[in-house]
Amino acid sequence: MMVTKTLVIILLLVGPQVHSQPDSVAYYTESGYVEFVSSVPMHSFTGESKNLTGIIDIDSNIIDFYVDLKTFKTGIGKRDRDMYQTLNVEDHPFAEFTGSFVSLPPPLTSLIDSVEVSVTGDFTINNVSKEKTIEGLLIRKKEGLKLLCEFELNLNEHNIIPPGIFFYRVDEIQKINLEALLKPID
Amino acid sequence: MNHIIYMNSNDLKRLSVLQRHLIILFIIILVPSTLVAQLKRERANKDPKIERTFFAPTNIGISTTENVDRHNLKSSIKHTFGLVSSGIDQFFGLDNGSNTKLSIDYGINDRISVGIGRMSFNKVVDLRSQYTILDQTISGSTPVSISIKGSIGIKTLSGLGYSFSDRLSYFGSLMVSRKINRLSLQFAPMISYFNQPFLGNKQVLKGLGIVGSYEINNRLALSGEYLSILGDRNPDTKNAMSIGLNIDTGGHIFQLFLSSTQWHSESFIMANNKDTFWKGDFRFGFNIHRFFGL
Repeated sequence: MMVTKTLVIILLLVGPQVHSQPDSVAYYTESGYVEFVSSVPMHSFTGESKNLTGIIDIDSNIIDFYVDLKTFKTGIGKRDRDMYQTLNVEDHPFAEFTGSFVSLPPPLTSLIDSVEVSVTGDFTINNVSKEKTIEGLLIRKKEGLKLLCEFELNLNEHNIIPPGIFFYRVDEIQKINLEALLKPID
Repeated sequence: MNHIIYMNSNDLKRLSVLQRHLIILFIIILVPSTLVAQLKRERANKDPKIERTFFAPTNIGISTTENVDRHNLKSSIKHTFGLVSSGIDQFFGLDNGSNTKLSIDYGINDRISVGIGRMSFNKVVDLRSQYTILDQTISGSTPVSISIKGSIGIKTLSGLGYSFSDRLSYFGSLMVSRKINRLSLQFAPMISYFNQPFLGNKQVLKGLGIVGSYEINNRLALSGEYLSILGDRNPDTKNAMSIGLNIDTGGHIFQLFLSSTQWHSESFIMANNKDTFWKGDFRFGFNIHRFFGL
């Protein structure tokens, strides 16, 4: 009986606090936009996907995003297939980032509020993880939270050999742009 | 918390059902949400298709189940020369008149393409379309790829007194392919109908195209094909055979081959090939394919 009483008292004290958070602090999307800009001598091309999936849990300080690499399209089917082979997509289908805010963002109180954020964590592609710090912008929207960020990815760091012949070769540095509207999780 | 954690099994047994439920509820409420780690990774397409059964929509002379992708344009240049057995005097056939075919194909969507081409022999212009019925999947849920192709050929030779109808020929083919690791095989029953065949030739020709390809690596593949006439054939014609090397340079697909036939479209290969590969009657040829996004 003593145990039961103790638990009831603790629950009465703690319970209301747990459930009294006024705003949602976790946001989720599975339709974020991500594009890469790839350069070859005298030419560049873009690949894009609208299948970026991710969660920002401010309360727990967790950021987790991934995209199925096979959803990237460059506009030429043959080039897409070459890209999937280069990225070893069938064995390692995802590019992913799991990390946390370097410092938690302040509360976004109005619809126009935006705040620059910095996150750090592991970026993984081709089953090779590298620690990465990425700068971004969080914007409070009526529908949720909008995330904008851009960063560079070095293919060589992830054991991906840029395709090409002799000197005509895809640049190892890929510019990544990301835009996602994350909706609050009920 | 410490009180709960350090309870031993005997302590737990002494708790009532209510007490156990309260403990579970307590743990659920207080477990930090940080324990909810990564999202579960899920493929966008849970049953993806096999990529690149063949390097190009045409192997050497026979069409494959590969189709032109949506809103992509494929341009092709095909060349065949004279017989290699003509020797050094004819530079192993390269001095002999070549048969050249230029063509473009456009992917309306990922399943339907349309195209037009022109071959210098008989000055044949052909209009064609290919429809992908099934794509082989990696999981094996769809074990083969199936496509159908239809085309209309128009001989545009002048001065022969042909009516427009006489110049027409029709072609249809069902292509069934399967890729097993690096090896791809295709069987393609086909039929041709010539409105006005040359004297002594058949109006209807039936055939079976067999295509094989072995992918050496991402850049290279060996391929071969055999087109056998089924039933009646035109006088003196032979089954056609070709072997080739496919080279993928990224932007282009090059196909370098030795072939018994100098013709390019299946219906004209069936109607006109008079050389036998195994007797040394083959010629050098090459195809170049280039893909563009529109």
